[in-house]
Formats: sequence, C-alpha cells, structure tokens
Amino acid sequence: MGTSFFSFIGENLEEFLTYTGFANATPGHFVMIAVGLIFIALAIVKDWEPMLLIPIGFGILIGNIPFKEVGLQLGVYEEGSVLSILYSGVTQGWYPPLIFLGIGAMTDFSTLISNPKLMLIGAAAQFGIFGAYMIALQMGFEPNQAGAIGIIGGADGPTAIFLSSKLAPNLMGAIAISAYSYMALVPVIQPPIMRLLTTKKERLIRMKPARAVSHTEKVIFPIAGLLLTSFLVPSGLPLLGMLFFGNLLKESGVTRRLAETARGPLIDVITMLLGVTVGASTQATQFLTTDSVKIFGLGALSFVIATAAGILFVKFFNLFLKKENRINPLIGNAGVSAVPDSARISQTVGLEYDRTNHLLMHAMGPNVAGVIGSAVAAGILLGFLM
Amino acid sequence: MKKIMMKYKFGILLVGLFLFVFSATAQRATQLRINEVMVKNMNNFQDDYGIQSPWIEIFNSAYATVNIGGCYLSNDVANLKKYMIPKGDVLTKIKPRQHTLFWADNEPTRGTFHLNFTLDTVKVNTLYLVDSNGKDIIDSIFVKWNGDANTSFGRCADGKDFVKNDSTGELESAWKTLSVITPSTNNTITTDKEHQAVLQKQFPNGIGNAIMSTGAANEKFETNDPLGVGMSATAMFVVFIGLVILFLMFKLIGYISIQLKQRRMMKSGIDSTKAQELLDNESGEIYAAIAMALYAVENEDHDWEDTVLTINKVAKTYSPWSSKIYGLREMPNKN
Repeated sequence: MGTSFFSFIGENLEEFLTYTGFANATPGHFVMIAVGLIFIALAIVKDWEPMLLIPIGFGILIGNIPFKEVGLQLGVYEEGSVLSILYSGVTQGWYPPLIFLGIGAMTDFSTLISNPKLMLIGAAAQFGIFGAYMIALQMGFEPNQAGAIGIIGGADGPTAIFLSSKLAPNLMGAIAISAYSYMALVPVIQPPIMRLLTTKKERLIRMKPARAVSHTEKVIFPIAGLLLTSFLVPSGLPLLGMLFFGNLLKESGVTRRLAETARGPLIDVITMLLGVTVGASTQATQFLTTDSVKIFGLGALSFVIATAAGILFVKFFNLFLKKENRINPLIGNAGVSAVPDSARISQTVGLEYDRTNHLLMHAMGPNVAGVIGSAVAAGILLGFLM
Repeated sequence: MKKIMMKYKFGILLVGLFLFVFSATAQRATQLRINEVMVKNMNNFQDDYGIQSPWIEIFNSAYATVNIGGCYLSNDVANLKKYMIPKGDVLTKIKPRQHTLFWADNEPTRGTFHLNFTLDTVKVNTLYLVDSNGKDIIDSIFVKWNGDANTSFGRCADGKDFVKNDSTGELESAWKTLSVITPSTNNTITTDKEHQAVLQKQFPNGIGNAIMSTGAANEKFETNDPLGVGMSATAMFVVFIGLVILFLMFKLIGYISIQLKQRRMMKSGIDSTKAQELLDNESGEIYAAIAMALYAVENEDHDWEDTVLTINKVAKTYSPWSSKIYGLREMPNKN
C-alpha cells in the first residue's frame, strides 16, 4: 500500500511538473520577458511614458509565462479565459474610443481655435502614415497590413490599436508595442530632425500670442468638429465621436462631474486594461517573427517622415504668410500626435536657441490637430481597406 | 357537458405534447450538412485572431434550431471522434437554414470553432460530421477542390446533394468549386457585389466567429495601386480637406466672435481703438496661468512627487493635556 501511495504521489508530482512554466519555457519566452523588464526599467529609471510602459511591460511578463496549453483557459488567446475577456476590449475595438473620450475631456483646444491655421500642420504630419504605408507595400505586406502598420506614424496608440484590430488583428501586438515605444522615444527621435531641417533664423521666429477664446467658441468646436469630420469620414466616427463628446463634456461647463470621470478614473481604468492586455498579447509564439522586426523598422521610419513632413510644411506655409504671422518651424514636429510630449519637445528645443521664446502653447495647436488628423486618416484607411 | 369539456382540454394537451415532442425530435443533428470547405486560405477570410486558416462551413437544413454541440468533426475515418464540438456554448445552436463556420487550424484552445486538425493541401481531404454517439456519420465529403488558393469547394445550393443542370435538364452533383466564396452565408449567391452586400447586411460586425474579409479590398488595391501612391494621395487629400474646412469654419467663427466682443465693448462706452487693444491683450490671470504652466514644465513637475511622504519630527515639548500640574490638588491657601 505504501509503495502504491508513494508511486501515486510521485506520478502526480511528475504530472504537476509538466504543467509548470519551467517545463514549458522556450528561449522565445525569456526573450519576451527580457523585453518586458526593459520596458518597466525604462519607465521607472528614465521616466519615459510610465503610464503606458509599466502596464505594457508587466503585460508582456504576464503573457509570456509559459504554460501547458490543455484548455485551462489561462492565456490571452484562449477563449473564455479572464485575459481573453479583458482582451476583447482591444480585439473588438472599444477600449480606444473610451481612451479618446478621456483625451477629449482633458484637452484644451483653445490654441487651435485661436489660431486655426495650425490645424494644417496636424494634417501635414499624417504624411508619416502614408509614407510608411507605401514602404510597407514594397516590403511585401498586403494593403490592409500596410495600412495598419502605417498608422504607427500617427503617433497615437489608441488609434493604432483601433485600426490594427480591424485591418490586421494578427499584427496588432507588434503594432501597438511599436507605436507606444516610439511615442516614448519621441525625445530621442525628433530633436535631431528638427535641427537638421531648420536654420538658426527660423528657430528664433517669435509667434504672435494667441487671442483669448470665448466660451461659445469652445462649445461650438466639438459640435462643429464632429459634424464636419464625421460627415466627411464616417468610418472615423468611433474615435472622433468620443473625442469631441469628451471635449463637449469639458467645455459645456455644466457636466463637470462627467468630464472629471472621463478624464480621471475612466481613462485610468481603460489605460491599465489596454496596456496590460496589449502587453499580454505579445506571446513569444505570436510575437517573435520577422514581421515584428519589419514593423519596428517601419514604425521608426514613419515617425521620422511624420516629423520631417510637419517641419517642412511649416517652412512651406511660411512662404505665404506675412512676416508678423510666421510660424516657428520648431512646432512642426508637434503635428504627430504624441500629446503632449512632442509639444514639449518644441518648447525644449526652442528654448535652446532663445531662452525667452516659449513655444509650448503654440505647439499644442498642431499637437491636438494631429490627434484629429490621425483619427481622420484611420477612418479613411478603414473605409478603403476593410 | 363538463366531462366533454375535460376530454376536449385533454385532447388539446395531448396534441400540444405531441407537437412539442415532435418538434424536439426534429431538432436533431441529422439535418446538418457540410456545406462549403476552403482548404488553402492564403489571403481570404480571417478568424477573430486575424489569421487565415482553412475552414469548414456547416449548414442547418432543418426549419428548427439545431445544436451541433456534442457532435464530432473528423478528417480520419479511423478516428471519428477526433474533435468533439463542445457542449454548453450558446453559439453552437444553429438557427433554421443558417450556417456556422469551423476553422481547421489545429488550435483547439482558441475556442469552440477551432478544430484540432488542419486540412491537407496536397492530398484529397475527407471530412466527417458525426452524431453525438460518435458512430453515426451524419455527412461526409471528399474535398475535390481544384488546388488553387482562396477557392472553396461547396454545394452550389445550400444543403442539396444534387442540382438540375439548366442546359441538359439532368441531375448532377451539387458539389463544385464555387465562383464566389461564401463562408457563413448562402452558396447560391452569384456575384461578388451581391455577396458583399448580403454579408454587410447580415453581419455588420463580422461574420459570426469570423471577421469581415479584407480580401476583396486588398485584391483591388494590389491590382490597381501596387505602389500605394493613389491611396496616399487620396487619403492625404481627404485629411487636408477635412482640416481645411475646420480651419475655414473656425476662422469665420473667430472673426464673428471678435466682432461681437468689439461691439459689446463699444456699447459699454469703450472706443474702437481701446477695444481692439483690450482684445489683443490677455487678462493678467491668463498670463499668470501660462507662467505657472511653464514653470511646471521647466521644473519637470510630475505625479511622482505627489507620492513622496516627508515625515518631520514635531518638537513639541509641552502640552497642557499631558501636564501633570493640572492633576495635582492645589496647595491650600493660608490667607
């Protein structure tokens, strides 16, 4: 009896061992765990986009704990598992519009309303999306995949996730990680391009201070913005609708509680869920492919093109403006969304050349226009390629 | 009379029971049919993970809902119980004359509709739909597809074994390589446009457990715009148009707003030059707020500092609450 008892325990232990992470680990799992740890370290040590990199980095750790796939409903790709249910917000595309609701409720469009020509810089920076789209096609990606990859150049994480979940769900993990990584790396990518494409004289241009915007104008903006952009590109409705709705909550002045919830607890909850599930979706078996490497390369390229397009467009635009209305090209980089980091870079680089020339408020105009522009571009890609 | 009424009611009850039992037996899985199969799915319909895998469509030929849960799908006659379709999933209930789709991707952990086998692109596949007893074959098919990627082999009329040839008037096998791929929808649709319209109408959010194909759009762009220049030019044009309209509108709104403010100021006795001057200059509060924001940016203030807790020792040597002097009885006064 004693022998059978011990052999029973032994067999059970042996079986249990086959279920442990150690027994099921592959080198890919360790590579991805290392990537997750790097993300966490960058967030804590370098303070690069901690709100995004901590949830994504930890999500990568969760998603790459190896286990035996015998229907225990553990992984993000197993139907009915907790992670899979949480991940449905990403695959079904309802997390990104909720993030946009919060962004709308926290964004002040005053600088854009007071100087509406800055909107055009936001449009020009979308060249990054389509530049990357064309290169991706040449690299052998299908048009729907190329569109999903190109949107990385919009520098807008929720938009990238929304579009890739619709056009190329199998590439979504790589696209989301790439978009968020480059958004965190904006302080490294943009300044050299800004210096390269501008002259010292241009960097010293002082812009006219923005005029005061009335409450009525602020209320009209989200309503008119929604009607105009959505009538033109109805496929951008989930993102644009929520963005402008959030902004109306903020600007109406009578829904303070709703606006505070949207820009506070709601956006925080969704950011956590979005980050951790996107991270968890990068299971080594799905993520470590040559396609992911290509996507990372294309992502960097799209950021470079978007930044350069924004700056060059300002320089071109200045040819048609009166001297006193000229725009400092250092705010051109802010046309890629990455709110508010890219605007902050305009300010920092501007101060390097003139300690009294503050560009932050001016750069916020193209910065928020970039959010609208990338949502419109996503709508167009969705309409054409779906 | 009362007895007759009782008998009458009893009769109705019996008929009702008979109908109930009859309808219940009619909902057996024997009416299910393998309807369409795609063996080599390169850039056609994707599953909900965005992956293109071979698929098998099952059609419920009955006029009642049939639950396929508990039945088996197999590609091996020696192992008819190869994949048991899980019971208890509401999605396994197929409505009358409707379809469901199974992905032959060898990924059973991905859900009810993902099989534990895949289809052979070299040899002819034989597929079996087996009843819940694991023995009775409900339907089987040799998939004699033409070998091309993204083509499906199916019945040209849903659930039918034979169809009448229009030219000869003779019956022939309904199984053919279909000109239009129709996962989860009727196989009788003949044009691509009609097919897309039906899919859009029936499944605005995707096709059952599949998502809408990007295949047709891809093909169109691959053929007509391989470099992506057309798409980029069109899309940039639309983005610019959208934001230019917004720019013009707010230019106009801004102009109207300034005019109104100026008029209001003039009404309250301020002359136009002074009014313009006031409008050009921001209020002191706005400058103060901007200065504070710039200060915060330059000093890189952020959330993290809020979590720093500083504990300083409070040097409080005396408190009347702990003073013993108040606990003592007063000294008697000798006065």
